[in-house]
Amino acid sequence: MRKEDFDLDLLFYAISETENKGAEYVEARLQTTRDMVCILKNGQQKPIIISESSGLGIRAIVDGGLAFSTSNVLEKETIREMVDTTVKKAKAASKLVKNKIRFSRERKNKKKWKAMEKEKLEEKSFEDIIKALKEFDSIVQEKRNYIPMRFLEMETSIDRKIIATSQGTFVDGYVPRIYVTGFLTGMKDGKTAQKSIEYGGSGGWELIEVLNIREDLKRQTDVIKNIIENAQKTIPGTYDVITGPEVTGIMAHESVGHPFEADRILGREAAQAGESYLKPSDIGIKIGSEEANLSDDPTIPNSYGFYLFDDEGVPARKRKLIVNGVVNELLHNRATARMFKTKSNASARATKFNREPIIRMANTFVEPGDYSFDELVRNVKQGIFINSFMEWNIDDIRRNQRYVGHEAYLIQNGEIKHPLICPVIEVTTERLWSNLDARGNNLEYWAAICGKGDPMQGAPVWAGGPSLRLRNMKVKTR
Amino acid sequence: MNTEIIDKVTNMIYKKASRLMVDDISVVSAYGKESMLRFSNNSITVVDTLDEVAVLLYLAKDRKRVVGTTSSLREEDLDRFVTQLFSSMVYIEESEEYTPLPKGPFKYKSYNSYDISIERLGEELTDYCNNAINAALKEGAVRVSGVLTSDLVAYKIKTSCGVESMDKSSSITINVRAFSETSSSGHGLSCAASLPKFDPGEAGATAGRFAKESKRTGYWEEGMYDLIVGPTVAADLMQMVALSASAFRVDTGTSFLKDCLGKKVASEQLILQDYGTIDGGFDGRAFDDEGVPTKQTNIIENGVLLTYLHNTSTAKKYNTVTTANAGIISPHPWNIVVNEGDMSLGEMISESKKAVYVTNNWYTRYQNYVTGEYSTLPRDATFVIDSGSIKYAITGTRISDNIPRQLLNISGIGKRRKWVKWWEVETPVYTPPILIKNVKITKAQF
Repeated sequence: MRKEDFDLDLLFYAISETENKGAEYVEARLQTTRDMVCILKNGQQKPIIISESSGLGIRAIVDGGLAFSTSNVLEKETIREMVDTTVKKAKAASKLVKNKIRFSRERKNKKKWKAMEKEKLEEKSFEDIIKALKEFDSIVQEKRNYIPMRFLEMETSIDRKIIATSQGTFVDGYVPRIYVTGFLTGMKDGKTAQKSIEYGGSGGWELIEVLNIREDLKRQTDVIKNIIENAQKTIPGTYDVITGPEVTGIMAHESVGHPFEADRILGREAAQAGESYLKPSDIGIKIGSEEANLSDDPTIPNSYGFYLFDDEGVPARKRKLIVNGVVNELLHNRATARMFKTKSNASARATKFNREPIIRMANTFVEPGDYSFDELVRNVKQGIFINSFMEWNIDDIRRNQRYVGHEAYLIQNGEIKHPLICPVIEVTTERLWSNLDARGNNLEYWAAICGKGDPMQGAPVWAGGPSLRLRNMKVKTR
Repeated sequence: MNTEIIDKVTNMIYKKASRLMVDDISVVSAYGKESMLRFSNNSITVVDTLDEVAVLLYLAKDRKRVVGTTSSLREEDLDRFVTQLFSSMVYIEESEEYTPLPKGPFKYKSYNSYDISIERLGEELTDYCNNAINAALKEGAVRVSGVLTSDLVAYKIKTSCGVESMDKSSSITINVRAFSETSSSGHGLSCAASLPKFDPGEAGATAGRFAKESKRTGYWEEGMYDLIVGPTVAADLMQMVALSASAFRVDTGTSFLKDCLGKKVASEQLILQDYGTIDGGFDGRAFDDEGVPTKQTNIIENGVLLTYLHNTSTAKKYNTVTTANAGIISPHPWNIVVNEGDMSLGEMISESKKAVYVTNNWYTRYQNYVTGEYSTLPRDATFVIDSGSIKYAITGTRISDNIPRQLLNISGIGKRRKWVKWWEVETPVYTPPILIKNVKITKAQF
């Protein structure tokens, strides 16, 4: 992306005009996102897709009322109209705001930052993407007798944001990303097993190797074959459950990451993504065993949720959400930080120019422990190892959750036995994290698109952790 | 709404594309103006104003096909976009599914899709939020959250096969969630294409009433229940069915309707339609992305699956004709319509011995799209029914079942339909409540 793609005069014009009209805070963001997408449906190429979005978003506070406006018609006259609308609507909102919106005080930052990129995505053509995707497809095709339907999609994306505020912050960020997703549908002799796959990261073409896509796809196809040939019914009962990193990650994301978003705790998402089991006064309460240690870190190199400054211009850092089972820190933007009398920990993100920055997770994970996988399994008499999942959901205060195993095995007397069909964990958050008694020394992350906001914003994230051992879990079956 | 800009952008892109000597061109431009007011804890949290012009360009040459979308409107950006799209064709294979764009011009149906009074709304939007909040409080809620959205969209299409047309639509929706002092909650919504049919007060009152009525909770056991789904939940279920009818999803293993054409897939009572130009619908269009006039399509009639949703390419593969649901790559429904039945909600309740009545849900996820194994979470007011009457509200429920089985187990369809579109239901659905026999309801380990 070239420098001339961004009209900085317009950005500063938007800020000064909005300030002149009475705004106490203004933030303007120019953002351009360019995607290249290839799809293979059962090996057959679908039309390739180029997608580009580019425009300006302005957020302003006037007398405690907050308004956000966007346009992609980047002309002075349109910007002037946009500024008028923003100020007018913020003023109107201020009359109906019971708790005036104010931001935490943060240091002003002037920085240019980039995600690490060895082989530039800008230099890659559709030829490269199609070649890579066909290679992935050929791996799946090796098991065509078991996987008659397959859908694979690969997207390269380049996202550049320039954010300036009336408080003197100017942050210029650049993140290239690769995302591979798909569905593998296994079917044979009346048996079926289906797996959705996702691989994603920030960086250049080197991500193809970094994310181990080929190796994992091969493994996923072997797993489907094994399930179809050998999986047996799950007998409902009480088991010790060992989770693989993919399952650990979704548990961390859903039952800790989301409910630790301070905007949910304050009720701002109540009508859409819901609220939280936490109350504003819950910092310091115990919600899990000593082994429950969970963090969120946007600064992990090559991560799908990578950033160094958030979309309010605050520098990113690791957030330790739960330490030894105790609620330690929430995810804040500047508005919630002010309400909680703390500092922002840089959790505000907007996925496109036409979306408001809201509190988002980045890369949420359980901190690794000391146990090898063999040690975790060794003293389990009657257990289930759930390495991956397909169906999952959680209630809107993030308490009542369900994970249904895809790749899962019976454990008997410390040994992994045959695969199982769809073991179901349906458990509350406090039971889940209280039953955790040991963490593996491995650490893996899985990519996902996390949905939140209205209009909806699908944000790239990683979720992960080590293998976990959860004692005395009730396991059902579908 | 000033449509000059999409006229200009469409013509500009079409002109650039037509210099490339391709076989097919379709340009669809959209100009959207959205105002959104979000509120929580009885107070406005943010006002959004979103103005965007976006263009879709489809090109085909020698059976090679490419699609692009852009909102970078500077002339040099559009030049680069068209050039990049065209030059990418060299890398792709000829498509077996290629079909020339349908020959126009076509005659498009005129329908009531645009209410100019929505365009003129200003301060009134704030008043509507207040109406909803106050109505919920009056019914007994203590905390009210929600979102009000007014949306105006104008479309322009121009294809290399003689199609050139414009369409526009309007909508205004409010989604209200109310909480009592015990945190029991209720949900209400009002979704309309025209202002006279929009009732934010009723949405707020419904949310408040449900919040109050669900304060008294009681014990329940995991097991099989008859399930009464209110229109909001029925909309989510029927959205899943209509999306699964897309031929693209059938081919990619993300549909439970594979190999079901001509077969009984639901109770004989069910008629499920897609309707691009229905009066009162608000995501429809007179033309699809290939320029074909959209229409009323019976997907399921008397329980039998009559057709998948097609564009010209998927129709070719299935040896049929397009249903005017392009999406160049994946056909999709416009407005989903469920037939009126003959039961009132009261009759559904009074005729149930052991049932659960769910008024709202979220987070629907599949274990297997092909078999339709799934679960979804009831949220807000959920009631257990014992011997024909509501006993009390229950919490912590999950519908853990199978959609094809549920469709066959539909035993009653309500008389009164409602338009539903909100955060969880993205395609508008016009549906009454539905009664489904013998559904598995599960709960979590505490």
